[in-house]
Amino acid sequence: MANAFNLTVARVGENLFDGQAVSVVLPGTEGVFQVLAHHEPFVSRLAEGQIHVVAADGETYHFDIEGGGVAEVSHNEATILL
Amino acid sequence: MALKDIKAKIGSTNRTNKVTRAMEAVSAVKMRKTQERALKGRPYARAALQILSRLSGGADLVRHPLARAREPKRIALVIITSDKGLAGALSANVTKAAREALRGYPVEAVSVYAYGKKGMEFFTHRGYRITGFWENRIDEVELSVMDRLVADLTRAYAAEAFDRVIVAYSNFRSTFEQTPTIRTLLPLSLEEVRKLVEDIVPSKGKYSTLDRSQDVPAYTIEPEDAELLDLLVPRLVAASLYHMLLESKASEHSARMVAMKSASDKSKEVVRDLTRTYNKLRQAAITREVSEIVGGREALAS
Repeated sequence: MANAFNLTVARVGENLFDGQAVSVVLPGTEGVFQVLAHHEPFVSRLAEGQIHVVAADGETYHFDIEGGGVAEVSHNEATILL
Repeated sequence: MALKDIKAKIGSTNRTNKVTRAMEAVSAVKMRKTQERALKGRPYARAALQILSRLSGGADLVRHPLARAREPKRIALVIITSDKGLAGALSANVTKAAREALRGYPVEAVSVYAYGKKGMEFFTHRGYRITGFWENRIDEVELSVMDRLVADLTRAYAAEAFDRVIVAYSNFRSTFEQTPTIRTLLPLSLEEVRKLVEDIVPSKGKYSTLDRSQDVPAYTIEPEDAELLDLLVPRLVAASLYHMLLESKASEHSARMVAMKSASDKSKEVVRDLTRTYNKLRQAAITREVSEIVGGREALAS
């Protein structure tokens, strides 16, 4: 679990993903980037596209972004608001 | 009252009792569901609030068009009530609080957005201008309706059609306690949102635990602060409003549940009293008949 981090993907009114993840790939406004455990703290805007999550148990999830979003990482916790 | 009438009345009261008992049970289930939804939505509101407060300690926020305070000359009121009655004084309390909050503003300076019929009727009767009206019939909070409401409000606020937006709704504290609450939605202030997020936790019962968050280091922010705020602020407004709607729903269901409970209790009491009267009357009739027979026999024998 050393390389996992807490990930929350939420939309107003529903939680899409909440748990341990190893990796998440995000479409930033400046290009696609990946967040792994112990990423430096940052806040970024997201463009339209897809989020790819690899959960700690190996499962993968995909979420579509419509109309942009915000990603925030701190304390080994990532929060993505759509 | 004749015997037959009393019997009919007992029957109808029993039927009422069945209806109110069913409504009580239905409201209890709906209340639970709404509470669960409110809790599910909380991480979003909390995260948005956190990001916002960490971004700049609120310094940049003050300059954002939706957060800049203006002298409140004209005001918009969003009133969230139920469509139906049978929920005790719930809607009346909210409209009363809203009217109190509007004191000092002339009728022309107020635009009312009514979500729910009760609030609409109340303010129409008093000559207020209803700018928007939505029915609060469905038990789900519709996100599309809410998006439109938020879009309307933010656009009109940015265009300075009004200088303040307040929301009157009823806050769910526990099954027996719903407090009518007035909150300022625009200009957006972090304190107001923080209060709201904390209020999502009911004061008692199953969902009354709250986890606290920690402070955070400096951020790499990309692209610009201002751009992020443009994205976050409307979302936070939407999330706040969404929670107020959910709180109102939960309050409505719990108020109805309590109202139906007391209606069921009352109808049982009425049935008991009526049955007693019925038995008394029937006994009196029998006694009268017996004494008539006995009296008749006496008359014949003598």
